[in-house]
Amino acid sequence: MAKQRRRMPADIVEPKVDQRTMLMMWRPGQAKARMMLRAAEPSIGGSQNWRARFSFLEEEEEELELPAARRWMALKMKKETAEEGTREGEDERYEIHGERYKGQQYSQIYFTRLHHMRNLLSSVTPKWKPHVPVNTVLELEAGKECIIIGTIYKHMKLKPCVLDEYSKERSVVPLVRPHNFMHPDDYLVLEDDSGRVKLTGELVSPSTFVTGIVLALHGKETGGGEFLVQDILEAGLPPQIERPHDSREDKYVVFVSGLNVGSDTFNPLQFQLLVDHVTGHLGDENEQEIASQIVRLVIAGNSVEISQCLLTGQNIASKDHAKLSEPIKELDILLTQLAAAMPVDIMPGSNDPANFSLPQQPLHRCLFPGASVYNTFLSCTNPHEFELDGARFLGTSGQNIEDLDKYSDAKSKLEFMERTLRWRHLAPTAPNTLGCYPYTDKDPFLLESCPHVYFVGNQHKYETSVLQGPDKQLVRLISIPRFCETGVAIMLNLRSFECHVLSFSTNLDS
Amino acid sequence: MSGNNSQFARLRRRCSAACRTLSKAHYSKQRRRPVNVSQSPNTIEDEMMDEDVYLEETLIKYEEDEEALILLGDEAVASRLSKWKRPSLPPQQFSQNIVFQQLEIDYIIGDSNKELLPNSSGPAAILRIFGVTKEGHSVCCHVHGFEPYFYFSCPAEMGPDAISRFQQTLEGRMRESNRNSNVLRFIRRIELVQKKSIMYYQQCQSQPFLKIVVALPTMVASCRGILERGIQIEGLGLKSFMTYESNILFALRFMIDCNIVGGNWIEVPAGKYKKTARSMSYCQIELECLYSDLVSHVPEGEYSKMAPFRILSFDIECAGRKGLFPEPTHDPVIQIANLVTLQGEDCPLIRNVMTLKSCSPIVGVDVMSFDTEKKVLLAWRDFIQKVDPDIIIGYNICKFDLPYLMERAEALKIAEFPILGRVRNSRVRMRDTTFSSRQYGVRESKEVTIEGRVQFDLLQAMQRDYKLSSYSLNSVSAHFLSEQKEDVHHSIISDLQNGSPETRRRLAVYCLKDAYLPQRLLDKLMYIYNYVEMARSIKVLSQLLRKARQKNLVIPNFKGQVSGQDTFEGATVLEAKAGFYEKPIATLDFASLYPSIMMAYNLCYCTLVTPVNARELNLPADSVNKTPSGELFVKSDLQKGILPEILEELLAARKRAKADLKEAKDPLEKAVLDGRQLALKISANSVYGFTGASIGQLPCLEISSSVTSYGRQMIEHTKKLVEERFTTTGGYDHNAEVVYGDTDSVMVQFGVPSVEAAMKLGREAADYISRTFTKPIKLEFEKVYYPYLLISKKRYAGLYWTNPDKFDKMDTKGIETVRRDNCLLVKNLVTECLNKLLIDRDVPGAVQYVKNTISDLLMNRMDLSLLVITKGLTKTGDDYAVKAAHVELAERMRKRDAATAPNVGDRVPYVIIKAAKGAKAYEKSEDPIYVLENNIPIDPQYYLENQISKPLLRIFEPILKNASKELLQGSHTRAMSISTPSTGGLMKFAKKQLGCLGCKALLSNADQTLCKHCKGREAELYSKTVANVRELEMLFGRLWTQCQECQGSLHQDVLCTSRDCPIFYRRKKAQKDMAEAKTQLDRWNF
Repeated sequence: MAKQRRRMPADIVEPKVDQRTMLMMWRPGQAKARMMLRAAEPSIGGSQNWRARFSFLEEEEEELELPAARRWMALKMKKETAEEGTREGEDERYEIHGERYKGQQYSQIYFTRLHHMRNLLSSVTPKWKPHVPVNTVLELEAGKECIIIGTIYKHMKLKPCVLDEYSKERSVVPLVRPHNFMHPDDYLVLEDDSGRVKLTGELVSPSTFVTGIVLALHGKETGGGEFLVQDILEAGLPPQIERPHDSREDKYVVFVSGLNVGSDTFNPLQFQLLVDHVTGHLGDENEQEIASQIVRLVIAGNSVEISQCLLTGQNIASKDHAKLSEPIKELDILLTQLAAAMPVDIMPGSNDPANFSLPQQPLHRCLFPGASVYNTFLSCTNPHEFELDGARFLGTSGQNIEDLDKYSDAKSKLEFMERTLRWRHLAPTAPNTLGCYPYTDKDPFLLESCPHVYFVGNQHKYETSVLQGPDKQLVRLISIPRFCETGVAIMLNLRSFECHVLSFSTNLDS
Repeated sequence: MSGNNSQFARLRRRCSAACRTLSKAHYSKQRRRPVNVSQSPNTIEDEMMDEDVYLEETLIKYEEDEEALILLGDEAVASRLSKWKRPSLPPQQFSQNIVFQQLEIDYIIGDSNKELLPNSSGPAAILRIFGVTKEGHSVCCHVHGFEPYFYFSCPAEMGPDAISRFQQTLEGRMRESNRNSNVLRFIRRIELVQKKSIMYYQQCQSQPFLKIVVALPTMVASCRGILERGIQIEGLGLKSFMTYESNILFALRFMIDCNIVGGNWIEVPAGKYKKTARSMSYCQIELECLYSDLVSHVPEGEYSKMAPFRILSFDIECAGRKGLFPEPTHDPVIQIANLVTLQGEDCPLIRNVMTLKSCSPIVGVDVMSFDTEKKVLLAWRDFIQKVDPDIIIGYNICKFDLPYLMERAEALKIAEFPILGRVRNSRVRMRDTTFSSRQYGVRESKEVTIEGRVQFDLLQAMQRDYKLSSYSLNSVSAHFLSEQKEDVHHSIISDLQNGSPETRRRLAVYCLKDAYLPQRLLDKLMYIYNYVEMARSIKVLSQLLRKARQKNLVIPNFKGQVSGQDTFEGATVLEAKAGFYEKPIATLDFASLYPSIMMAYNLCYCTLVTPVNARELNLPADSVNKTPSGELFVKSDLQKGILPEILEELLAARKRAKADLKEAKDPLEKAVLDGRQLALKISANSVYGFTGASIGQLPCLEISSSVTSYGRQMIEHTKKLVEERFTTTGGYDHNAEVVYGDTDSVMVQFGVPSVEAAMKLGREAADYISRTFTKPIKLEFEKVYYPYLLISKKRYAGLYWTNPDKFDKMDTKGIETVRRDNCLLVKNLVTECLNKLLIDRDVPGAVQYVKNTISDLLMNRMDLSLLVITKGLTKTGDDYAVKAAHVELAERMRKRDAATAPNVGDRVPYVIIKAAKGAKAYEKSEDPIYVLENNIPIDPQYYLENQISKPLLRIFEPILKNASKELLQGSHTRAMSISTPSTGGLMKFAKKQLGCLGCKALLSNADQTLCKHCKGREAELYSKTVANVRELEMLFGRLWTQCQECQGSLHQDVLCTSRDCPIFYRRKKAQKDMAEAKTQLDRWNF
């Protein structure tokens, strides 16, 4: 079934596009001519050169003609056919098939995680601390130095608790939901399958670590039943598969997230500009040239927003039926335009009509009757993993990082991303504070190999950096901002792994 | 039964009622509850009577008790002992003054001490004071020379000769009634003293009284009996006497005469004591002294501190058989967890657990495993002896753990086990009691006395001091510590025990937690401080006795003079003008009304003038007060009352304590002071109750009825003054209206719209009216209710303001927010409605909320845990006269599975399900788990009519016109949804067929999801299905991770079956709903 969804025979590519879409596809210039377009706001990482190439003035704007579009289409088709057969979704590990809720609990997933990570860590400990024995929590003896490996549990005073709903008094001041639940009294506990021990010492700062990660700790038990930590070993970046070094031309992958079609902040025009831009209907030849080199567009979650009050389970009036499906229809039209032009991967996010627990399963294709007929359209899981030109991509719609931000502390979102890589776990706080399917025999979020590109959607702002690992791993980290708030999409050059910003504004005053 | 049995039998015969200073409150409480009433005639009396316990020389002989130490074989024992032992004594200890805080006082009968009391011989009562010095050394002080005595009024005709002849007659009578006694002389001496009775105003200064000093404490009662029944006196004939102060326990008598109050510090000056030649206890310091040499320190300054008591908190686990409550004759004790904490320290000194069979280690805990149960028990005994705890606490230890250990030792024939007390080789005394309470039903149990150690059962304290919906350790700790406790069902315990060292470790962790929580509760609720403070002041009788002693007064023994029917009019409650008040309501309160009335009008036993006396004495009218109930009391210039004096002292002390509390910075000091001021307040208020308790020690209804009549008068007076003065004609903007008045407060609507203005007027009114009252009666303005929902007498709710900027809290009285018989839905609904009405001021919102809730209920969308009703199973089914829902259910569950069915003493949770028409209410109960598993439809009508309608209407009637119609019969009640049960009945014959997810039309092809009409709505319908899954996934995750958190382990499955936990059913339901929703979603995979 999944296969079917992914690929359609090439000859039915000819889309069933409705009148309105046709209009927008082929005559975009008219619709946009009066608009000021400010593209390519190069913030971090954008080169001056890039700005020059993408900023153009009103006078220069030319009416797009059919020939131009044709030329672009031709370029595009060539690429497409060349690529045929190379594009494969690699999300099997995140897909849930035939798994059922049969009364399983979360202990198994922790157990699997600990088992896997312990094997990994204990193979390194002899090199890390030669001659220090590895013990279980049970075997601890006061004053004796050893290494223990286990899952961290962070005891948090402010952590919201489902039992609070039952507490007696409603406080006078309405509860302010804090952005972050940390408290100076928080402390860490290390648990293995034999028991728990409270951790002390300067090194283990509760603000950096979260529940669910597996660490090796060097230290000794103090008299009071606590473990004084003297050194910490994290699993570190997983090994990276080397990328084949054949000469490559410039190819681009575009990332966008947080479209929130249907919300108050969604600006249809702004997104249409993006669509037109990446499909080559805007800009001069240069820009079209670049646009034609876009080999994939990834939508990292939160594409639609459906008013929560319509989904409470109460029967809704028939007039509201349309309200519910309207945003999805609108999104489908936009996706159809994109899918007609290039491969599109859409990931579900926390607000999308998909399940809640990670891994989120692909958005159902019945939601996209238009776009799903294209073989270029791929509805994928969150987290999403794929390979392009030998480069491995891994990304989420942002829940894992958002949750780390609630329960721990870092200078930037990129630091959180880096930590998940070093801990070798994509979503350590699942299942504790992050919804997660109760797996019985595996933990799909364990990172076995290091991606070349690691992206996270629905962030506050655009940030990027390159992370270098000790074994020559190179990872491009990208935090993708919400499009509906910032009007920003990210363009990644596959050859150089450089990132550029596409910024769209419909504000006439600026 | 074997030879050991005789030993136990003897122990039981000597059952005790040693006077305990700390646990006294619990005794008096027991009397108030219907405990022990049914069993034997001597139950109530028993508690208040002295019991002479003879020192048995055979037991004191030195045995090599060290050899019994089970732990000695262990290598680690040296380190353990050093950890367990009390700090060792400095070398010159016995040449210094010894100062210690006493915790328990009892007495034994032994030979009178020849050195200290050269003139007396034969058996005598020796008081033992157990306590701790500030260095943490344990003390046992033997006090000699204090003799039991009482008074009776001396007939005027009796001269000194007559008295000595009388003494001989009495001696003879005593010998007759105490044949078995080996005492040489029963009546030590009779003294003629000048005293005055506390009863009634008397002009004469004193009268002759005879003080009878007897040999042993129990003889007070027998001698009193003889005098009350009547005795032949030469020249007077048969005459019966009223006795005075003859019902006071010996140890209390001693404390009063030596000015010792509960838990205070006692000093024995150097040179005035001797170190005991042959130590009789395990205490480090053991002394002999005369009672006259004791120095008792008033608990102030340095002496208000606490000694570092050793507090042992423990819990045992027993491996019961399936379906039965553990019985000591069959079921072994498998684990004992102990936690020893020094008073005032945060961290426990010792944490250990003793297990039967091996147990994996636990970090920070000393795990001791033994291969036989005997060794476990003996190890515990050794532990107790070495650690030497002063206070033993736990949850339900008095009724379960301690008796169970004793009986188990008896069953295993371990005669040497019950040496747990501080007295060398003396065995723990145990006696049968029948314990009956609403929660636990009638249960035969034993009461255990451990000499020299105070037992403090947190369960009993909770039941006495707090009104909770459940007293399980789980819900108590959830309430006070905001911590859910994992609850392992006792049917699992045996399985865990029979598993591996790992499973036993699991059990041990659970057991330790049960031992830890009572300690946490003790700390959190400051029980030690409050208790010592209470013990110091609360008892009115001892206050009265102390005061009377100072004033040379004696108190008659008035037992049973007032019949129960003789009641008097209670406090007034002004008519409540029900309504929803949207203007501020000012509340005027009388500060400690009843104590101030007693002080203002000098109401006391000794100021009361009987009608007969009034005529005889011919008192001038201006020196007597006539109370509204018609009693006469002299004014304080003629005779100052004792009760007013006691009250003045108490209130002054409270004022001091409160002032100090404000100054205090140290949290510990604050706790002490707060405990003190609270205890003083309670004491002051209980004086009135003491005079009115018809089965009390010294009832005097003339006083109590006068107090209430004054109270009524004052409330009426206040109402009148307020409504006369605060009027538009009097220059105010509005006419004031008294809307309601309770025992000691009056609610006034001044008509002003702002809280600030109401406060100003409230203060003005309080000042104005206070001036019209006799001092120290004072009307105070305290708070404003705004808005205020007055439902009826004693039922109201409102926002409570003490400053005009922001309200303090929501205050409710008599409204269903905590009742334990209701399901949680009622509580939530009422609370939420009040929030919406009072805080949000949103009447339509509240109405809508009620409607939505009712609709949810009818549409079967309600969280099942909100519908669970819980009742305690107190007897087995046959014992109930009428059939009750929970009893019937327990029977049915027993038939299904005896192992998990509730037993007597358990609480039975149930929901009401739909049943055949005409089914009796008790047939409609069902186990919530069973309901969840089998999709059994609940009966929404029952919940609507029997649970939520009344409380709701009560709230809404003052607000809405047609409350019942609007809320309970609107259009929202028309749609219903009933789940189809998956078992039984017609379902056996039904065939399942899939329907369209959009319109429920039947589908011919099972692969389809939607019918052809709904085809176009795919996106919308899918979004709805997936939204349902989302919500459930979210809930599933939160619930199950919470349970992991409570359990304290990530890698192990959750076992907890605590039905008290609010999320227990929700967790189960989420799991089941999740599976269903997932199946629904999978139908979309086309």
